[in-house]
Amino acid sequence: MNGDDGLLSLDFLAGFTIFMVALVVVVSMVPGLLVGLQSSGIDYDAVAYRTGVILVEDPGWPVHPPWELYDVYHKDEIERMGLAVSRDTPNILLSTKIEKFFNGSADGSGFFDYPDDYRRRVLFGDYPYVCNISMSILGGPTYMVGDARPQGYGYIRRVVKVKEPSSAIIQDNDLYRAAVPSNRTQFTVRLNCSELLDPSISPAYRIDPRIERISVKIANFSYYLNSSPYATLKNVRFHKNYATGSLPFPYTSISPEKYRFQIDGVDTTLTPNAHVNSTLYLMLQPASLPIDPNSVIDIVFTFEEPAPDPPRTTISGLHLYDYNATNVTRPDLTFGVLEVAVW
Amino acid sequence: MVNDTGQLYTMEGVAAGLIMLLTAYIVISTTSVYTPGDTHITDMQLEQLGSDVLAMMDTPDTETGVSDLEVFVDHNNATGFEATFLDYCNATTGGAVDSLHMSATIYYQDGDEVKEYLFVPADDSWTGRESAVRATRWVQLDERSRGPPLDDRARAVLVEVLIWRD
Repeated sequence: MNGDDGLLSLDFLAGFTIFMVALVVVVSMVPGLLVGLQSSGIDYDAVAYRTGVILVEDPGWPVHPPWELYDVYHKDEIERMGLAVSRDTPNILLSTKIEKFFNGSADGSGFFDYPDDYRRRVLFGDYPYVCNISMSILGGPTYMVGDARPQGYGYIRRVVKVKEPSSAIIQDNDLYRAAVPSNRTQFTVRLNCSELLDPSISPAYRIDPRIERISVKIANFSYYLNSSPYATLKNVRFHKNYATGSLPFPYTSISPEKYRFQIDGVDTTLTPNAHVNSTLYLMLQPASLPIDPNSVIDIVFTFEEPAPDPPRTTISGLHLYDYNATNVTRPDLTFGVLEVAVW
Repeated sequence: MVNDTGQLYTMEGVAAGLIMLLTAYIVISTTSVYTPGDTHITDMQLEQLGSDVLAMMDTPDTETGVSDLEVFVDHNNATGFEATFLDYCNATTGGAVDSLHMSATIYYQDGDEVKEYLFVPADDSWTGRESAVRATRWVQLDERSRGPPLDDRARAVLVEVLIWRD
């Protein structure tokens, strides 16, 4: 007996086959379906957090000499750019490091090239991240490096304090006026590094000529003039460990990467043989002198008048560049905020 | 007898099935679900910020100075504490101000007990449903004459701050 009971129609067979094929395809896509459950911001946030930690809690590498003192020819030796004064002082940043770090641009006009140098030295990772890192210092400048932020990005904000370099301002001090002026006189500023680098002083407040600028300003120089409108500064020399010979240094050329010297507000060399009547200002760049933890560095200002002329200045003596607040001004730590955006 | 009663019209059925499957796939694959696990990212950012702020308030500006945090707690200066904390917390590099709020509680030891008092109460933005995070810091106080609830002896107190965003 022939009937159609229990037979499958071709339509059903075709439909069922297509359905099964589609089901297999969809099931095979299940891992891909779950991709949507992962927020892409998670990874960026993690990278931003890591970058913030490196910048705020790490002094970078190398440390001796610190990475921020490397010139453009040795830039490749910089492995990591951290801004902390030391590893023991998280969130306390060094102004010298900040200035160097934000000296970057995409057009090659800065010290660092954005984004390559920043990817290799602070963002890390295999993925070519792009970033915007900015910093604002209370009452000071705002720094920024990177691209404009897009809609979605990983983000972290860190609150910090910034350490600025110290300076000695010598003004109207009777201790440095000689009772009997001489045609040739010397005024010395002494840095005793074994005292300055005393480990018992926190790196957050330490005067460290190896990583920070040293500034000496003799203000109101007329206070030390001997009935004359000017005195003649023959030269400025640096001596180490009480040696009579001066340290090798570009004394006869203007060298901004080593120092800045001004007489009455005008830039000059350290061998000026020029008249002074109002101010002397000397700024030594970090590590411009061969300083070790036991060095004693003397900065000697020599004034000398030609033989027939009378003594024109009374200034003489020894000024200690130390932790005495009357001798050296150490700026207070300044509040700042650092933002890292990564995408 | 074969007729079309109860039969699936093949082409229409296949097309409808494919469209439904495609739609379901697109919807699921393009929807980003904000899972509870992701919330820790925002929490972590706020915790880090609160921790930073307390640490910086506890860092004297000079070598011989006393930290703001110690002064505020020692002199029970809740107004100063709140203003400084929010200034630091809400500062951004672009000049815009964030919308973070806070309250603070101080824990201290009294005999064998650990007691607490509300140092800075929450402002009107607090409803109880906020996703607040906690940041804490121990503060060492020197011996000096001070008013209640803390007595005069040298002691350490725990400052706990709750932070939330509008």
